[in-house]
Amino acid sequence: MAMLEVRNVHTYYGNIHALKGISINVDEGEIVTLIGANGAGKSTTLNAICGLVKPRSGEIVLENEAIHRLPAHEVVSKGVAQSPEGRRIFGRLTVQENLEMGAFRRADAGAIQEDMRRVFDLFPRLEERRKQVGGTLSGGEQQMLAIGRAMMARPRLLLLDEPSMGLAPLLVEDIFRVVRQLNEQGTTILLVEQNALMAFSVAHRGYVLETGRVVLEGTVDELRENPEVQKAYLGG
Amino acid sequence: MNVRQALRNGFIIGTISIFIILLGLTVLVGGIVRGWFDLSSNALGAWVLLGLLALLGGVNARRNTHAASWKEAAVAGLAAGVAQGAMVGIFVGIVATLIDSGTEVRQWLVQLTPEAIDLLRFGAAPVAAALIVFAIFTLAGLLGALPSYASAHYQWGAAFRSWFWGMRDQGLDLPPVAAFREYKYAPYIVYGLGLVLLLIAPQLLGRYWNYTLGTVGIYVILGLGLNIVVGLAGLLDLGYVAFFAIGAYTVAMLTAPAPHNIGMSFWLVLPIGVVLASITGVLLGIPVLRMRGDYLAIVTLGFGEIIRILSKSDVLTSFTGGPRGIRAVAGPSLFGMDLSSSQHFMYFIILGIILVAYLTYRLQNSRVGRAWMAMREDEDVAEAMGIYTLKYKLLAFAIGAAFAGFGGVLFASRNKFTGPEDFTLLVSINVLCLVIIGGMGSIPGVVIGALVLKGLPEMLRELDDYRILVFGALLVMMMILRPEGLLPSKRRRMELHEEEPTEVVAAGGAA
Ligand SMILES: Nc1ncnc2c1ncn2[C@@H]1O[C@H](COP(=O)(O)OP(=O)(O)O)[C@@H](O)[C@H]1O
Ligand SMILES: [Mg+2]
Repeated sequence: MAMLEVRNVHTYYGNIHALKGISINVDEGEIVTLIGANGAGKSTTLNAICGLVKPRSGEIVLENEAIHRLPAHEVVSKGVAQSPEGRRIFGRLTVQENLEMGAFRRADAGAIQEDMRRVFDLFPRLEERRKQVGGTLSGGEQQMLAIGRAMMARPRLLLLDEPSMGLAPLLVEDIFRVVRQLNEQGTTILLVEQNALMAFSVAHRGYVLETGRVVLEGTVDELRENPEVQKAYLGG
Repeated sequence: MNVRQALRNGFIIGTISIFIILLGLTVLVGGIVRGWFDLSSNALGAWVLLGLLALLGGVNARRNTHAASWKEAAVAGLAAGVAQGAMVGIFVGIVATLIDSGTEVRQWLVQLTPEAIDLLRFGAAPVAAALIVFAIFTLAGLLGALPSYASAHYQWGAAFRSWFWGMRDQGLDLPPVAAFREYKYAPYIVYGLGLVLLLIAPQLLGRYWNYTLGTVGIYVILGLGLNIVVGLAGLLDLGYVAFFAIGAYTVAMLTAPAPHNIGMSFWLVLPIGVVLASITGVLLGIPVLRMRGDYLAIVTLGFGEIIRILSKSDVLTSFTGGPRGIRAVAGPSLFGMDLSSSQHFMYFIILGIILVAYLTYRLQNSRVGRAWMAMREDEDVAEAMGIYTLKYKLLAFAIGAAFAGFGGVLFASRNKFTGPEDFTLLVSINVLCLVIIGGMGSIPGVVIGALVLKGLPEMLRELDDYRILVFGALLVMMMILRPEGLLPSKRRRMELHEEEPTEVVAAGGAA
């Protein structure tokens, strides 16, 4: 039984038909990756799942409950959180306040403290900078903060949009180690990446998107073997 | 020396200037400045606006050509000045010729009234007018470039800042001052003294100053309200005056003998005015707050004007008092004592400010304040974090409107009068300016902003003709030295003065 089912979703930006019938499944406990060129519709898919973009047709079902008609601020309470493309942390809020914003819908103060502890254990740099405003962090630290902020919602499904974008290779390694760790601790993850090599190293299954359609899907091993994928995304 | 670059800067400023004239902004600003200083003509304000632009042309030309000597700076400024002067001069000359020949230029450009050009002509014939305009713009270009070079060369800004903060730190480090700062009850003593001072002040001030500072105080209340809407929630509301008007008209219509003769007591009307303004805020907000930025500004601006026009309308005269307004608005009384002198009102206004400032402070540091801040920075992400942004926007609108309604009740009741002319667009603009000048999102900033914008012109009255000059100079200096506002919130200061972050290469990532 899939945790998340995206069924034949179509979305539009004005006249632009961005998603042309996307269907995706994510099972509980998996890391699933979406890869594809710029403009393929990866971010739009994530935004449709968290309610920021409304599908014109199709459905999105999370644990047997349709969520595609819910406003974004209610989808969080269903256990879905996103670390958006380009990080988009709150530049004027401190690191700690950014993390608290991630837990905005929660009232369990004790558990929130625990989760913050957990974020700081994963990203000690954030703890050192907890009183610093987000806008003054380096790119890597902002990425950590964006992931940490999403974790603060205590999501069962975590959506990560290009967490490696613009980071030095060493940092990318670190971020992906955390992704794997989060997954081992029980968070299901849908990971959007341009860096297919890194994505395949952590994911179980993947989908390849092209101009708003899923053109290929399979286990990571299958995708790695696929000549088209090798040519287009693995530089082989 | 890149003269072409300087010329280009001149052309840009020339184009902007012509646009500004075409849009009627010179007339508008001229009117505002005339209103502030009781001048007889709009020309001064118009020229201050254009003059600042022309100075900017010189400043930009100097900066963009990286002029590295006095001579180069002068050449850059002159080149920009000639370019902008030629453009605007020719424009004024052509339009003046057309107007003098009896052509109705407004058939093409509705805002281009004969007044817009008259303001710039000094009564001269078209060719002479063009030359005068040319000369002024050229001179201003030069005048902008030279101090700009001096400031860069001698690092005036930095020198002033280090002197200023150095003085402050020295003062704070003096032994008695330092000892007092350590003292546990120091803040209470300071606040206590402040409070006592505030309680005594109205006794010492005469009628005139109680009235003048009372108006400043009402602007502080308005400013604190708009600060919530603009500074905290990030919603540009240009029709804020509407809620002020609703408060004022509520007290007027419910207490004055005409046109309704209801005769309610001030104390009963006060909460009604606040609640009515607040409800109107929500009713306006529901359709309007779904729009983004600029549309919101335009629609609220329209709403402000609609309220004023309604209050002025002949058809509604029997309801609102029409163009002549409503007289004999009641003031408060307590146990049969009449409390409606300017002095009494000064106390009410001070209490009102303390109340409103306290509410703002509590809100700012609450979950609601945090939600506003997040929403202002990135609405989509805030929404995805679980913030129902529409709800928080409505809340900001409702609270801001409530404060304005409160200010309106006090204003009309103290003046014992209300009329449509109290609620022009100018009020909204003034309040917005004072929030920006003081420093967005900062409570003390609003107080200082109101004092500077509403109080200073009054205080400088002594200086007579020179006060405009002094006031203008102060504003310009402030914008250069403190672009973040006079007393910015701690956050904005952090943001603008934090040292650049160092890039992390190896993060202490997963343990
Ligand atoms: N806010 C928007 N307005 C209009 N078009 C958009 C917007 N966001 C994305 N698009 C368009 O939708 C398509 C998919 O974009 P996106 O989901 O961002 O792709 P990806 O994340 O795979 O790079 C692109 O053609 C893009 O131009
Ligand atoms: Mg994307």
